[in-house]
Formats: sequence, C-alpha cells, structure tokens
Amino acid sequence: MSTTNEDREVILSIKHVDISFDVGHKKKFYAVKDANFDIYKGETFALVGESGSGKTTLGRAIMRINPCSAGEIDFEGKRISGAISHEEDRNVVRNIQMIFQDPAASLNERATIEYCVSEGLYNFHLYKDEDERIAKVDKALQDVGLLPEHKSRYPHEFSGGQRQRVGIARAMIMDPKFIVADEPISALDVSIRAQVLNLMNKLKAEKNLTYLFIAHDLSVVRFIADRIAVIHLGEIVEIADSETLFLYPLHPYTISLLSSVPMPDPIVERTRRHIDYDPSQLEQTDEKRELREIRPGHFVFATKHEFEGYETKLRGLEAERAAL
Amino acid sequence: MNTENIESQDLFEFAAYDELESEHIAAPRYSYWKSVWRTFFKNKFTVCVAVLLVIIVTFALIQPLHSGYSPINTPNINNSELKFLKPSAEHIFGTDHVGNEVFDAVWAGARNSIIISFTCTAINMLVGIPIGALWGFSKRMDKWMIEVYNVVSNVPFLLLAMILSYVLGAGMRSLIITMTCTEWIFVAYFIRTQVMIIRDREYNMASKCLGTSTWTMIVKNILPYLISVIMTYVSRQIPNLISYEVFLSYMGLGLGTTNASLGQSISMYTSYMNGYPHLFWIPVGVLAISSFSLYIVGQKLADAADPRTHM
Repeated sequence: MSTTNEDREVILSIKHVDISFDVGHKKKFYAVKDANFDIYKGETFALVGESGSGKTTLGRAIMRINPCSAGEIDFEGKRISGAISHEEDRNVVRNIQMIFQDPAASLNERATIEYCVSEGLYNFHLYKDEDERIAKVDKALQDVGLLPEHKSRYPHEFSGGQRQRVGIARAMIMDPKFIVADEPISALDVSIRAQVLNLMNKLKAEKNLTYLFIAHDLSVVRFIADRIAVIHLGEIVEIADSETLFLYPLHPYTISLLSSVPMPDPIVERTRRHIDYDPSQLEQTDEKRELREIRPGHFVFATKHEFEGYETKLRGLEAERAAL
Repeated sequence: MNTENIESQDLFEFAAYDELESEHIAAPRYSYWKSVWRTFFKNKFTVCVAVLLVIIVTFALIQPLHSGYSPINTPNINNSELKFLKPSAEHIFGTDHVGNEVFDAVWAGARNSIIISFTCTAINMLVGIPIGALWGFSKRMDKWMIEVYNVVSNVPFLLLAMILSYVLGAGMRSLIITMTCTEWIFVAYFIRTQVMIIRDREYNMASKCLGTSTWTMIVKNILPYLISVIMTYVSRQIPNLISYEVFLSYMGLGLGTTNASLGQSISMYTSYMNGYPHLFWIPVGVLAISSFSLYIVGQKLADAADPRTHM
C-alpha cells in the first residue's frame, strides 16, 4: 500500500470504455459508462457491484466477448479492443484467460476432462508430442489438487468445487499473465469457497499472475483483493486499496454496500444497521461527475462540490482514526 | 468434567485424512456409447423391433438378387392357371395378374424403396448438418441463408418432382435428385435452430476464450449434444422418404415401369382390390411394417443417445 501506483507496471488499462446494447429501434442501453482504470501487474483487482451493475459485462469486454462501443482496452500497452490482427489476437488469447462463474455450465459435458483441459494446448500446439501434452495435463490437474486418473472422466462425475478447479486448470495450462475471474466462487458451496480462493492465491504467487476478480460478496473481496473498484449501474463510483476502502468509504453507494456485509458475530449482527443507498442524497445537478483522486490511489466519482464534501468527511474520518 | 479419570482408549482420536484420497472417484468409468447401447438393449420390445428391422432389411437386400424379379419380365403371362393365386405354401404371397410371384415383387420393391430412402437421408444429412451448423453459428451467413431458405422451402415439392422426372427421365438417379435437391435445406434449418439454442452457452464461451476455431467448436461442442435430436430427425426422415417414394411411384413420377417399387406395386394392384384384396394389402403391409420398425428403432436409439436416460 505504501508503494505509489505511479511506479508500478500497468498490465491492463481500461480507457473511457462504454459498452452498450441495442434495445429496439435506435435505443441503446448502456451497461458500462465511461469506465476508466488501470490494473497493475501482480495485483488482484476486484470489481464489486450488485446484480446488473455491469461488472460481468466489463469482464467479458476484456475477454472480447462483448465489443466496446467507445473507448479502448489496452493489454501491456497494446490495444486489444475492436479489430486487431490475427497474431495479436492469438497472443491475447494465450495471455488473458477467464475463470467462469458457473462450473456446471462452463465445461463441455460431452468431453472428457482430458479434452477440456487440453483444449487450449490443441489450439496453440503448445506441446511437442502426445507424451508432453499428457504430462502437461497431469501437471495442471495436480496443481489444482486433482488426480491424473481424472483425465478420462466426464464433468458430470465431479462435484462443483472439483469442476471449478478443472476450469482453473484449463485456464492455467495456457500460462496466462492475466486472469478474469467472473464470480468464481458464487456458485460454489460455502464449505469449498475457501479452498478455491486459497488455490487461486497459491497459483497467483507461483505463476506471478494478475487477477481481475469480479464479485458481489464484499467479505470475500476483502480477503483476496489488493484494490477494489465499486461499480453501480455501469458507473465506477469508487476505487481504492482494499484496506482504505473498508476504513474510509466515501461514496454513499460504497457505504451502503459495506453496511450490507453480514457479520458472523450474532451480537454485532443484531446491532448492524443497513444503510440504504438513496441517489437523491447526491447533489442534483447537470454537472458531469468524474472519478477524482482524493488521496493517492483513492478515487471517488463526484462533482466538484461533492468532492469537497468528501474531502471534509475523509479528514474527519482520518482524525477520528488517529485519535483511537 | 474431569477428563483425567477417563481411560485413554475411550478418547476420540483424530482420524488420518488424505486430501488426495478424497478426490478419488469410486464410480465405474462412464462411456457414452456403451451407455447408449446398454439403454437401447434394456427394452425387450425395442430389441424385438430391431431384430424385425434387421430381418426385413437383409431380406429386402438379398431376396431380389436371388429371384431376379423385374416388372417387365412376365414369363407366365399366358398361363392362366398361375394368375391370381391365393397365398399358399407354394406361392407364399400368391401370384398377380400376370402370373408373377407377389412375394418377389414386394421384396424387389422394398429393396428399391429402402435403398432410395437410406441414400437420400444420408445425402440430406451429410449436406444439411455441416451447412446448418455453420448457419447457426454465423450471424452473417444467417442473413442471406434465411432468404435462400424462404425461396427454396416454398418450391412446391410435387411440381419439382414432375419437372425433374420430365427433364431427367424416370429412374433411381432422378428420384434421388428429386428427394435431395430441396430436402437438405430443411435439415440445415432444423440444425441451425438447434445450434442457436446451445451456441451461447457458457462452455462455448469458454472454448472461444481458449481460442477454439468455429469448426472445432461445431465438431466437439455442438454436434455431440445434437446426436439425440439428429437421430430423432433421421428416424422420421427415413420412413417419410419411403412414403414419398411410394407416393411418387403411385403418381407415375417415380422409378418408371422398368423398376420394381412398392408404390408401383400398390398402384398396379389397386384395380384388383375387390376381387383379390391380398394383392393390395400385402405390399401395403410390408410398407407399413418396415416404416414402423424403422421409426421405432430410430426413436429408441434417439432416446438412448440422450445421456439423461443413462442413469
């Protein structure tokens, strides 16, 4: 947290990205509006928001499943959104991989685990001979805690957590640099969520990965993420280091989201009060809001006037904390 | 509670726990095709119909080679004692108005009908499935293919059959062309719809993210899911084409007078329906039994190909 963001290497950069869908005649629905942030090499960047806030859409735009209607996405300094050359396309596919939300739906039910995991190897011919491919598949399965004997099995024979690990093995076998994890644990049983998260952290350390972790569960995000962006109705309302965000939430939506995290302590839980987000408490103005940097690395989506209000509030919170 | 008084062997002990062992799957290995055959052969009725079908098809393919029946070959036409005989041990299905064995006529006809319907189905499927799969995948192709479909599917089938039989002459070749030149587009359209249903499922998106080409996705991700529906389609198509062939031959647009055909036998024998009903009912019965068994076996195979029935 002490390292300033300036001297870190940017791996993925989202520049003023709009993603819209046509709804009926000449009408457009904006799922993501003017998203603008950088992801640094080696960090876990979390994108948090409620259902329908556009977080998955943005993740899919990075995977180039959804096209951007404005702005651009850069990976290692090169544009990857819109039309790109075939070689660059292959390069991006190799280096950006995705872990899907639903392990039941994201594996081909009619193919063996061996095929599911080697699919990327086949597409890029990342092996010299059959023996090497099988060795790679075995290694990938062992890395995620599965057994080589699982190769000849079909996805429906596995539990949810095992399937999700197959999904992770399938992504990791490509040796990617960047992983988009689209709610990788929300479809899993509570008892195995930690297992998958620990695995992701282990692999991150071993392979020097960068994650974009899309989630709606803040308690998980606090555990895994280095930085957090809060997205609401397609607009990014706050970006900060995770500790900063939990200590000094500024935007009313962030505050509301944090207040909704359940506490495992029944006594605390009884006194916990949920704060509703009311957009009318924001300044009613035609002035365009933008992400403004309030402290180094801490951005908040505000008008100029609101920004001053947040500044005062933040100073109050900091003083309060210093007094403790 | 004082635990010191309890004998040490009464205390619980931590069990050894092997994490890798817990990943082991104890269930026997699953094999798709083995499960398909097991499910198929589980039903006794299906097995009986399948055996019946095999007998009919083998008999229809072999018997005409032995009898050498041809409708223009009438050696007994002047022997009135051999005309219109009732079925007996000597003449199993009886004899017809020219003194030929109905038994030979029916099997020669069945042979042609079966060959034509199997060939046409094979051609329609081989052309229709790949085109339909690409059609369902590509939004660009869909734009113009749907117009082609609208035009081709609205060509009246009977008109086309008449024109083609005038242009190409009667015979097996022209009949096969008639029954494939527009029929494939219906197969393609059916496959297109099926592909569109599963095209955007998450596992296909995952394949796309791994850089899999469209064609590999069709072969590995889409078609294995469609085995069951394709089987259903085939099981309807083969009997349908048999009845098409019968219908066209009945109308005089089919194989022509030189070739045996079930349709032709039926149309030829219709005039003797009052006096010698067996002449009419025997070919109709063979047609019905072969269509029925083809349909049942196809349907049961389609059911067995659906992994939801493998439990």
